[in-house]
Amino acid sequence: MDTHGLQNDLGGMNLSSIRGFLESFHDPALIVDQSDQAVMANRAALRFLGRPVEQVEGKPLDGVFSIYLERVRRKGGANGLIRLEQYFEGAWYVLQVFDLLGPDGRTPTPYRVMSATDVSERKRREFDFLEIAAGLEEATRIAQMGTFKIIWANLQIDWSPHNYTLHGVSHDTFQPGGQAYLVLVHPDDRAYVNRRGTALARGEAAANVEYRIVRPDGAVRWVRMDGRVLFDSSGNGYASFGTIQDITDAKHREEELRELLRRNAILYEALEASPNGVAVFVSVQEGFEALYVNAAFERLTQHNSFSLNPASIRTLIPDSEVESWSRIATAIDHSQGGDFDVICRRRDGTEFPAKIELAPVHDHPQQAASAFVVNLRDLTIEKQRAAALLQSQKMEALGQLSGGVAHEINNLLQPVIALSDLGTSVLEKNPEKARQYFDVIGNSGRKAREVVRQVLTFARRDSPQLSSLNLVPLVTDAVDLAAKGLPAQIEVVSDIQLETAMALVSATQVSQVVLNLVRNASDAMNGTGRIAIGLKHLNIEQSAMPGELHAGPWIKLTVQDQGCGIDSVTLARVFEPFFTTKPVGRGTGLGLSVVYSIVEGWGGVINIESKVDQGTIVVIYIPEQV
Amino acid sequence: MAHILLVEDSPEVSLSVREILASAGHSVEDAGNGKQALERLKGGKFDAIVSDIWMPEMDGIAFLKEIRGTGNKVPVVVISGGAPNAPLTYTAPMAATFGANVVLYKPFEKEELLSALSSVL
Repeated sequence: MDTHGLQNDLGGMNLSSIRGFLESFHDPALIVDQSDQAVMANRAALRFLGRPVEQVEGKPLDGVFSIYLERVRRKGGANGLIRLEQYFEGAWYVLQVFDLLGPDGRTPTPYRVMSATDVSERKRREFDFLEIAAGLEEATRIAQMGTFKIIWANLQIDWSPHNYTLHGVSHDTFQPGGQAYLVLVHPDDRAYVNRRGTALARGEAAANVEYRIVRPDGAVRWVRMDGRVLFDSSGNGYASFGTIQDITDAKHREEELRELLRRNAILYEALEASPNGVAVFVSVQEGFEALYVNAAFERLTQHNSFSLNPASIRTLIPDSEVESWSRIATAIDHSQGGDFDVICRRRDGTEFPAKIELAPVHDHPQQAASAFVVNLRDLTIEKQRAAALLQSQKMEALGQLSGGVAHEINNLLQPVIALSDLGTSVLEKNPEKARQYFDVIGNSGRKAREVVRQVLTFARRDSPQLSSLNLVPLVTDAVDLAAKGLPAQIEVVSDIQLETAMALVSATQVSQVVLNLVRNASDAMNGTGRIAIGLKHLNIEQSAMPGELHAGPWIKLTVQDQGCGIDSVTLARVFEPFFTTKPVGRGTGLGLSVVYSIVEGWGGVINIESKVDQGTIVVIYIPEQV
Repeated sequence: MAHILLVEDSPEVSLSVREILASAGHSVEDAGNGKQALERLKGGKFDAIVSDIWMPEMDGIAFLKEIRGTGNKVPVVVISGGAPNAPLTYTAPMAATFGANVVLYKPFEKEELLSALSSVL
């Protein structure tokens, strides 16, 4: 090692001052001659190279320094300062080379100073940053997020690749810029985006800027832009950075949700506005629990959903209404709906007549009800109205009954009063005349008795003894008898194939019924036409509904005419006592009422079907005795 | 003594009224309903008519309308079987509306009919 040569070449510069200069580097530093040998090394260099001074000074360079020299040589020699970064054996170094100047500070020397700084820590941070940036790019891609950056100094705008995809434009044809961008924005949102974008470019943050873009292919997408300002190391803003995210699906879900909420609100309001009480009970472990009651329900029962629990629907039914509750409980147990006319109990203990309509709600058709909807209607007014109507109908019927009976009896009393008076006066002089008067008086009395009987039959206070009789001969005889009194042009046809048809009836009543129906049929036909009488067995297999015929054997008696028919208004009244359509002086209006009450007395059912101008068929069902 | 047309479908009522009128010396002609009565009116002159309301073919109201419509002013006593105010017998007040001079409700006494008749003759 020729440090003395160094001293000479440096114009007699003190070696120790050169060494001092070299030691002023904290990092490893060497002085290298033109043959690439280290002529002097500082202590840091010796530590770094891990060798004693005699194995460094005067020896060719090795390690990171030799690699470094290679690179300097490839760059065409060292002129002035050269700064390179080099990775070597697990660490990053910044190597600097500069010419060693003479003592005057200007004259070049054949030596170079070389220093190596370990920058591994900085490098690691740089790599971390790149890794983060790469991760960020990947994340933004996954999040359907584009990013952009606007450098304020030159208004340079950079878009991430996904930002192009998101806007449906190509990197090759689309040049990002304020006006160019607004073209992509939905016309309705342009003013808003322009305002927020301009503010962002001025250095204001922009969070949650939601707007629509229209891609060149016409697709409308909702996006959200979030922008912030980037600052340099001295804290001055120099750029805007933002993300743009496609939120179309979220927007649609949000709109769907909003629509759903709106509908829910309407449904809720509708339920609240319902004049009927509505309550919803949901299935819980121990039965059903009130979930909701509407305003009308609360008004009717004074209960809300809290006060109804835990006894639930049961709360509404007074203890005295055991029967009603048992029917409701059975329906609930079987997950069935139903209508129940019940007495309902308010919270204060008062009661009111009500209709409870129970409707099960099934999550799955085969499973037990998960909820019940209860519709509650206050029947107080309806009951009052029905009672009033019934009363007025009773009064009307009573009026008709009394009027009709009065008319009949008055007419019969007239000769009784007049002739008994006159008869007394002619008794001595003209006994023959008196006898005639008394006959008329007697006949009138008997006719009056018949009227009273009819009334009593109707009222069923006068029930004759019923016995088991064969209807076949009874009906046949009655038809023959009835036919005799009819106009000549009226034909009566019997279709009676049976031999026996046993029923619990009275013979007189059977002929009364047949006579009445045949005469009505004849009157309806205006003197000409055919009356068909039928008598048949009828076996009812199964009784479908209450009000219909019960299962079992029946006898069906029909009387059919080809007459004028009965309109629906009249048909509804034909069984009313003293209701008649016949000309004055014909019939009392009691006929069909009497038939009705007789048939009812037999346990039978009477039914009339009629079409105006086509005729009428009266069907009587009588329970058959087998 | 007057000549009277009696219009009544019930034979018993007809007989009893005819006998009352005869006992007072009036002569009587019978008709079973309004239609027959109109025929009788064509054939002769009557001092008064006694008529029922409820009758077949032509009732008392229709009969009254018919004769008053042709300007016949013969006095009419209507005899009604209806009870006052009963729904089916509103026809009695109607008879008065359509020109009956007197309305009598059955059953009436002999004197009631005779005094009603004398009041209109």
